[in-house]
Amino acid sequence: MTYQRFIVSQSIVIMASSIVFPFYILLLRNAGDSYSQFGWAYGMFALSAAFFYPVIGRFSDRIGDQLLLIVYSWAMTLLLLLFPLVTEVWQVYLLQILMGLLGAVQKNTEKTSLVRHAENKQVGKEIGKYHSWTGIGGAIAIILTGYLADFLTIGSIFYIASLMYMASGLVLMKKTKLSKKAIGDMNKVSTK
Amino acid sequence: MKRKILFLFLAAYMVCFFSSVSVYQNSISSPVVSDKGRLLPVQVKSVVKAEDRKQLQKLIKDSNQVNDKFSIAGMQHSQGGHTYYPNAIMLDMRDYDQILDFDPKQKEIMVQSGATWDDIQKHINPYGLAVKVMQSQNIFTVGGALSVNVHGRDIRNDALIDTVKSFRLLAPDGRILNVSKTENAALFPLVIGGYGLFGVILDVTLKLTDDELYQMRTKMVDYQDYPGYFKDEIKKNPKVKMHLARISVAPKNFLKDMYITDYLLADDQSRYKRYSKLKNEGIVAVPKFFLGMSRYSDWGKNVFWELQKNYSKRLDGSFETRNNVMRSESAFMEYESGPRTEILQEYFVPVDQYPGYIDDLRSVLKQEKDFNLLNITVRFVEKNEKAVLSYAKDDMFALVLLINQGRSTAERKETERVIRRMIDVTLKHDGSYYLPYYHYPTQGQLKKAYPRIDEFFTEKTKFDPNDRFVNLFYEEYGK
Ligand SMILES: Cc1cc2nc3c(=O)[nH]c(=O)nc-3n(C[C@H](O)[C@H](O)[C@H](O)COP(=O)(O)OP(=O)(O)OC[C@H]3O[C@@H](n4cnc5c(N)ncnc54)[C@H](O)[C@@H]3O)c2cc1C
Repeated sequence: MTYQRFIVSQSIVIMASSIVFPFYILLLRNAGDSYSQFGWAYGMFALSAAFFYPVIGRFSDRIGDQLLLIVYSWAMTLLLLLFPLVTEVWQVYLLQILMGLLGAVQKNTEKTSLVRHAENKQVGKEIGKYHSWTGIGGAIAIILTGYLADFLTIGSIFYIASLMYMASGLVLMKKTKLSKKAIGDMNKVSTK
Repeated sequence: MKRKILFLFLAAYMVCFFSSVSVYQNSISSPVVSDKGRLLPVQVKSVVKAEDRKQLQKLIKDSNQVNDKFSIAGMQHSQGGHTYYPNAIMLDMRDYDQILDFDPKQKEIMVQSGATWDDIQKHINPYGLAVKVMQSQNIFTVGGALSVNVHGRDIRNDALIDTVKSFRLLAPDGRILNVSKTENAALFPLVIGGYGLFGVILDVTLKLTDDELYQMRTKMVDYQDYPGYFKDEIKKNPKVKMHLARISVAPKNFLKDMYITDYLLADDQSRYKRYSKLKNEGIVAVPKFFLGMSRYSDWGKNVFWELQKNYSKRLDGSFETRNNVMRSESAFMEYESGPRTEILQEYFVPVDQYPGYIDDLRSVLKQEKDFNLLNITVRFVEKNEKAVLSYAKDDMFALVLLINQGRSTAERKETERVIRRMIDVTLKHDGSYYLPYYHYPTQGQLKKAYPRIDEFFTEKTKFDPNDRFVNLFYEEYGK
């Protein structure tokens, strides 16, 4: 994972989540039918995140940021396919718990990656740059969504976002340019 | 190895993606619909927006081959699934709302059935004309109003059925029929008050009346004196054109205190112009807040009653045009809660039976501490038995009850029990009840309230032998 790739992939992630967010709220509103259930759904998200943060922290030190981010992207890719199908409140709650877990993975790993990258450099500047790029991604997405919403069903917006998460995962996976042979060699090594 | 995992993942993803899309598409193509009562959500085959006569006719004709079923929906303020049916196609009439013809001299208007009273009022108010009979609010469609045979505050213009000159009906076999008191006359009293079971009402020609300036007269009375007051001061006084009353549901004077609002033809009609502009929905925060309080406590109910009473006192002597009286506020009643909903009941009792009826009703409700009754309005309906499903067997008072209830099965059962008790009391006093609400009443109660119900369903089966038009009301009582 190069730093460039990291930024591209996280920008796509932010874009995807900004597209989904307003519709996600709508979905919660529709499935749950009172404000208190809405509150519960959000509370569960926050609680689940809080619960998982320490675990994730330990993991990221052990298995590395890249793998965690890939797992995050692909888990989101799959999870988003469930969103359009939600009809019951318990399903919303379940999704919220999983989203809390994954959200924590992303937030934590994003930060550890940044810190590890910025080590020995000007941390402030690097993080500023990072947020500016991902911010641009988010802004573009939100503006586009405005147009999308007019002629797409809510469901298709979740599908688009799922594809974007998939892309973000692929970006992270791609090795720095290697010849076919090199990949072959690597595979040999890794299967040993 | 990594590659293999990647391909496996991608393949699995594709499978998940397309299964998700197909399940999703399935679910949006058979949407779940529910009326404003929110007690009966149902999955229908599809919702089709009515656009024009040809499209509707083709739909019905084609369906005779594939045996599709239809239900008809206006604004869906009915509360017993009268507008839908599992796996049937729901015709959404709301955009079928053109004004087709208007003759101010003859005082007649022809509209498509999805038009609301509001659409009509906006069109005719500049000509100084008004609707003869409609609900107190103007948010309903004409088709929905005809199909339940509505009544309102007017006490001089007979029943709705007498204000309908003619309409066209898209019949179950796909024919379009002119229906009036002279043409296809047998259908006239079946379709009006027919709950959408005889076909689609396409366009309707209504008789109008003059818009007038009324002066309000408000008064407090005791429930025992109400029938006498009504007969002497209201019915006998030709100047009183409209009437509405309320009876208290506040614990401190439960089913005793009433206040009355009469609308008298103003002496000086030259002032009409000053008031003739149509009013819009005002700011509803205050009544909404106090209605909200009354949902939760006896204290709130007492306060809400005092507030309503004082407000009514202040209105005494003020002026309002007929059109404006018939576009009264409804937004403050909108109620958004997940586990609970608000439902209506309406009971009709002969004028002379009223005091005894109220006493009996009170003794039933005193035993039902958990029954959350929020409001009762009282209107008058004149005897009119022209519609087959007529509720006005006599000159009657009509009590509309607003009830807050939970949506769970257990809570529904509880409400059902209390409502059945109330209907028993009503029937004992030679009364009847209104049909556009949830199917709490029993078959037996229905038969007693509507002695011609068997005839109604027999005619339905004769006219629509394949049950092309269906709804949950029909399912519950007609099959
Ligand atoms: C807040 C509130 C206040 C009310 N006040 C009054 C009142 O003052 N007086 C009174 O009499 N009633 C009153 N009602 C009851 C109301 O009049 C009925 O529920 C009415 O049917 C609502 O009209 P709608 O357009 O919502 O019809 P919907 O609920 O959509 O339909 C009602 C019935 O009409 C049928 N239908 C609708 N359109 C057509 C069509 N084009 N052709 C054939 N059938 C059709 C439907 O199939 C259904 O059976 C009130 C209801 C509410 C919720």
